[in-house]
Amino acid sequence: MLSPRWRKMLRDASLHKARTALAIVAMVVGLAGAGALLASWALVQRVTAQTFLASRPVSATLRVERVDDALLARVRDLPAIAAVRARRVVFATADANGRRTRAQVFALSDWHASGIGRLLPDEGAWPPRDGEIVLERSSLEFSGAALGGTLRLSAGGNDAVALPVAGIVRDVSLPPGWMDHVVYAFATPATLARLRVPATFDEVQFVVRDALDRDAVRRVAVAAKASIEAAGGRVTGIDVPVPGEHAHAAQMDSLALTQGAFAVLTLVVCALLVVNLVAAMLAAQTREIGVMKVLGASPGDIAALYAGFALALGVAASLVALPLAVAIARPYAAMKLDMLNFPLGDTAIPAWALALQFAAGCLLPVAAAALPVARASRMRAADALRDAGIAADGGVVRRRFALPFVGRPLRLSIGNAFRRRARMVLTVLALAAGGAVYLGAANLASGVRASVAHLFAGHRYDASLRLVDDAEAARLEAAAATVPGVAGVQALAKARGVLRHADGLDGDAFALVGLPAESPLLALSVERGRGLGATDGNALVVSRRLLKNEPLIQLDAEVELQIDGKPTRWRVVGVVDAGPQALAYAPAAALDAARGGVLASTLLVKLASSEPAAQLDTILRLRAALDGAGFAVAGSEVMRETRRVFEDHLLMVVQFLGVMAWAMIAIGGIGLASTMSLGVLERTREIGVMRAIGASDRAIMTLVQAEGLVVCALAWLASLALSMPIGYALADAFGRVMFAVPMRAWPNADGAFAWAAMLGVVSIVACAWPARRAVRMPAARALGHA
Amino acid sequence: MPTPLITLENIGKTYPAPAGDFHALADIDLAIDRGDFVAVVGASGSGKSTLLNLLGGIDRATRGRIVVDGHDLGAASERALTAWRGRGVGIVFQFFQLLPTLTALENVMLPMDFARRGTSPARRDRALALLDRLGVADQADKLPQALSGGQQQRVAVARALANDPPLLLADEPTGNLDSRTAQSLLEGLAGLVRDGLTVVMVTHEPRAIAYATRSVSLADGRIVREERIDA
Ligand SMILES: Nc1ncnc2c1ncn2[C@@H]1O[C@H](COP(=O)(O)OP(=O)(O)OP(=O)(O)O)[C@@H](O)[C@H]1O
Ligand SMILES: [Mg+2]
Repeated sequence: MLSPRWRKMLRDASLHKARTALAIVAMVVGLAGAGALLASWALVQRVTAQTFLASRPVSATLRVERVDDALLARVRDLPAIAAVRARRVVFATADANGRRTRAQVFALSDWHASGIGRLLPDEGAWPPRDGEIVLERSSLEFSGAALGGTLRLSAGGNDAVALPVAGIVRDVSLPPGWMDHVVYAFATPATLARLRVPATFDEVQFVVRDALDRDAVRRVAVAAKASIEAAGGRVTGIDVPVPGEHAHAAQMDSLALTQGAFAVLTLVVCALLVVNLVAAMLAAQTREIGVMKVLGASPGDIAALYAGFALALGVAASLVALPLAVAIARPYAAMKLDMLNFPLGDTAIPAWALALQFAAGCLLPVAAAALPVARASRMRAADALRDAGIAADGGVVRRRFALPFVGRPLRLSIGNAFRRRARMVLTVLALAAGGAVYLGAANLASGVRASVAHLFAGHRYDASLRLVDDAEAARLEAAAATVPGVAGVQALAKARGVLRHADGLDGDAFALVGLPAESPLLALSVERGRGLGATDGNALVVSRRLLKNEPLIQLDAEVELQIDGKPTRWRVVGVVDAGPQALAYAPAAALDAARGGVLASTLLVKLASSEPAAQLDTILRLRAALDGAGFAVAGSEVMRETRRVFEDHLLMVVQFLGVMAWAMIAIGGIGLASTMSLGVLERTREIGVMRAIGASDRAIMTLVQAEGLVVCALAWLASLALSMPIGYALADAFGRVMFAVPMRAWPNADGAFAWAAMLGVVSIVACAWPARRAVRMPAARALGHA
Repeated sequence: MPTPLITLENIGKTYPAPAGDFHALADIDLAIDRGDFVAVVGASGSGKSTLLNLLGGIDRATRGRIVVDGHDLGAASERALTAWRGRGVGIVFQFFQLLPTLTALENVMLPMDFARRGTSPARRDRALALLDRLGVADQADKLPQALSGGQQQRVAVARALANDPPLLLADEPTGNLDSRTAQSLLEGLAGLVRDGLTVVMVTHEPRAIAYATRSVSLADGRIVREERIDA
């Protein structure tokens, strides 16, 4: 049997049925969202450990001129090295059922190695037999081919070879093919020979014995290089990825961190609601608390009573939120795993994540209520008994607002809003937090759009075509210019630049673009330094990302680059924003001189029509014409499409923030409804008096609605202020992970207006029920309320 | 001569006020024996409720020493005072102060709950017995709002007696009752006194004083008269 004190608690809660239910609903929303993030993160972590780390990802890759068994054995014998394999990567063009895509074909020295980059056979044959290929799972659909079908591969400008797709395998170390728009395939050296490309291995990959950091792995790689060179081999480059991290892991982690921060913010907003609810209950029951103290209740008894109520709220909310969170987490985790190219595997959410979520959900309201509960429970009995109930007065504020142009009813509403100041502040904060995130997201969205527009501003072409092989620029332009529908063309030279480090090692390769002195279709928007001039020799304009990636590259610095294997010296004269691309621009003449030929591999095209269908037609005609003239086209891009995909990709994060903002606004609205209904309850007597002296339904309703609008107006102002630091933090986080966007101090006007309108709706909806209650209250009961 | 149940020595209570300290009680010396039924009388604002609060351990004296049933209230910690309040004293308020969401029975059980006294069924039996003794057993399962003032005050007395305290304090218990109801309540209290309970009751009404065995008159925070009333 329940003891009387708990029965009291239960019945008091049922007096606050609607408010209690609202607080639970708000917590369910917050907990389900935060819980889903936590659960999906935990699931992804576990799958990462089970699949990615278990696959023994490659610690380092050495580019070597020629790898043979003896060389491999030398590296294997190094004490720090646990496993080695040799590899060759061939870049090719794939064609399946009329779909042309870029492809990378991997040949490995050991298909069954379990100690290094283990591959997981999925379907069909494994390993690939001579004359067959096995496709990587994530690029199967993108390739257009099917298991048992064929894929035509052409590499090195040779004729395409039709190869049967004999199996499907998963390589968890690769980013998903569909995301990177590359078809990954596995083939034997004999198959490479059929493609008429070099079939010997040219990379040594190894896994280190112990868990080491990146620098330690680099030292092992340098030792391996020395060992290879001692045997007469030549190492041209070393690549050491961050140990234990998938190619997309950093991006995922930053995303998770941003999401986590907002999940915490949502929970804080929920906590504010609980504080309001519990504080209101305590305020209404001060005298009862005094009586209980007189009857022998200790501060601990009182605290336990109200903390117990808060705990019950948390348990109820958690019980509903937990299954919801799990239901959301599964597909969300599946999406994230798909983006990491990990198999979903075991979809059970780790027990610790569920336990943590449940515990946090139960304890959140207890923690939120702790302060008011502690204060109430420590109140002396004499003071509690003296409490006259609800008698807080907004008199001071009311007088301050006695402005001539503010009508009397509005003055009353403003005064009412200020009566319970702490409660109002919490309500305003809860609403403002959601609004600030909304404004921050809107700001970020417009910042992203502006940045993308800026990025593409210098791109005055509508499409670009990539050639399989380098061609002579003038001939290429001439062949393209005559195609109907083409309004302008410009050939670009593209080479691979590799930075030579002081220690003799090579950095990562980046694209080096040759820009003619006259470049009508591509203009650089220089951020720092200057652009390329007609008289420039070996001058470079580098992208911001390249600047960030390579510490050696600085404005005005002189650097040594390997271009087509030949060392050349260049001076950095300017920096441009090229989004997430690491590339550099050089005068076409200087690049041609370095390479020893006027070669182009890309064609920029300006089209006469801006109509998508007509543009596509022209591009098809152009491709056919170029193919006919002996220029093999590897791929084409329509700029509008590229830009849209790029923008969408960036805006995905913004959209997520938008969803968070909606959830928070919903919670804030629930908070307003709860506060307003408390206000009506506490002012029962006053409303009765107003009724008795003839206030109409409309007057009463207006009074309540106006009070809600006053709170919302304050929330709007507060959200504008709050959106500044939030917007700043967002832009900063976004810039770090994806793409630098300009930081804006002021929320954008459209967003601010939309949010104001939204708040108006929130206010009317949230106040509807309290206003109805106020109107429905019979004067007699209102007056009798003690 | 047996030791008195209550001893007040040189008690003073001062409230800080903007216009200087306000002495609600000063120089109070009083001894109350077991089985006394004391009526505290005096004009409004003379310090009657203040005195009762000190006796009940609800408030602390600014000066002097209060000993109730061997407990030095001034020296006791807040925790000890709470524990003592639960078992050592029963308090009845002018406005009944029953908890509105508990039934009459549950209100009476509550102090036993806080004092962790007996088992739940035992508490229930005792609460029913107390309600029966005060003549409101038939109201046990009603909420306070469904009871008349007199019934509520009887339930409040039953609640005050829940933990069988030696002392009952009542602040104008009949202030909100009509004369007939007041009379029956006073008779009930007198009956309890005959059974050994000590009662200190603040009252304005001359008829109430008639039920007491002693009266103490306060004026401006001081005892101005003290007399034994013989039946
Ligand atoms: N918390 C307080 N702060 C300041 N002064 C107080 C406080 N409580 C009581 N007083 C003052 O102490 C004096 C005695 O108050 P008390 O309540 O004891 O009077 P009372 O005799 O019970 O009066 P009544 O018959 O009206 O109930 C009064 O003048 C009152 O204003
Ligand atoms: Mg009094």
